[in-house]
Amino acid sequence: MKFYKPTSLPSLFQFIETVENKKYFLAGGTDINVQIKNGMIKDGTVIFINHLQELKGIRKVNNDIIIGALTSYQDILKSDLIKSHLPWFGKSLRFFASPQLQSMATIGGNIANGSPTADVLPLLLVLDARLKIMAKSKIREVPCNEFFTGYKKNILKRNELIGAVMIPMNAEQDYQIYYNKVASRRALTIAKLALAGMMKIKGGKIEQIKLGAGALNEYPRRLKSVEEYLTGKQIDRIEVLGIEDILKSEITPISDLRSEKEYRFQVTLNLIIDFINAQKNN
Amino acid sequence: MKISFNLNGKDISLETDPMRRLLDIIREDLGLKGTKESCGEGECGACTILLDGKPVTSCIVNAIHAEGKKIQTVEAIAQTLEGKLLIECFDEANAVQCGFCFPGFLVAAYYYLISDGEPELKKIKNALSGNICRCTGYTKIFEAVINACHRKNEIRG
Repeated sequence: MKFYKPTSLPSLFQFIETVENKKYFLAGGTDINVQIKNGMIKDGTVIFINHLQELKGIRKVNNDIIIGALTSYQDILKSDLIKSHLPWFGKSLRFFASPQLQSMATIGGNIANGSPTADVLPLLLVLDARLKIMAKSKIREVPCNEFFTGYKKNILKRNELIGAVMIPMNAEQDYQIYYNKVASRRALTIAKLALAGMMKIKGGKIEQIKLGAGALNEYPRRLKSVEEYLTGKQIDRIEVLGIEDILKSEITPISDLRSEKEYRFQVTLNLIIDFINAQKNN
Repeated sequence: MKISFNLNGKDISLETDPMRRLLDIIREDLGLKGTKESCGEGECGACTILLDGKPVTSCIVNAIHAEGKKIQTVEAIAQTLEGKLLIECFDEANAVQCGFCFPGFLVAAYYYLISDGEPELKKIKNALSGNICRCTGYTKIFEAVINACHRKNEIRG
């Protein structure tokens, strides 16, 4: 394996224009090192980026909270900006991994790595987060829910890198919120299923609902058909069978060593109902 | 590649593969065997060290990550006031059985003691959630850390 450590962001972009073979960005390294250990990565070019300060930190710009791609989860958890503007997002991060992994793991790495079980994505999907994607002389913004195209596949071109995650400052305001990660133990665990939900209710009716599922399909995504089905419905007159039918046609659950697809389907349904029931009681 | 860092107060500079695991550098190159390897995938916490004051699992940290950083291993932590208190409290609570996970627990508990230190079970459970013990069942470990928090508060007055 070849190794490269750029001295700055511009020199990084200069360099990646020249790399023809498979390349890996090394940020916090919490997942790539496990892949290396298990022989899943044998050759290619490793580009170290974790020292690039330009891609670190949390700022408020206009109406967005901007989190640099190389910001660690520990820094996000400790951030006063996150605590005051996106408290639900901040609190939900506590269910991620462990203090040791939170010190190293970065939000950009979590997204780019593209695991279907990536903890942060269900949250980012319902918060309408956008990704700032950078290349040598171009920056573009892409909504999180348009980033993935398949299992571990995304829209990044070979000379591009995720620079930052942008979340609207008021994304949580006026919403009922829900986050549940189902796994074999509470701490230090990989999700069997994760559901993030946001809902607006007016006059007993669901005015708007957003559902982001992780560890369910080939990549984390919104449950758009279920959202459409539920929108406008009276909250206390929702039929489980109706959701079940729509959900069945919408999702393509994965089976892996953690869970079978039938289990994932049932748990997703249960969590959606749990979210709805919690609002009924409010 | 040349990598330089400060280990337990001493400046170190060595020539190594930048992708090598920090755990191997600490144990093999520098001979500090207190840091243990168990799962090798960042899931058990046996290899926990402090990197720039934050707990990390050194089995999934690369040499390059240590460049210019401050590393504290269990050997140095055991000599601190908090380290000594923790060892005393783990001993009294019989919180160590086979002992293999203990260095990692000591580092994680030390970080909790210096960064928070409130004798609250829920917080302590969270602080130690990255460490796995297969002998004791955790109850005595939590008890030991709660006692160490109380004792540190007493010392502080």
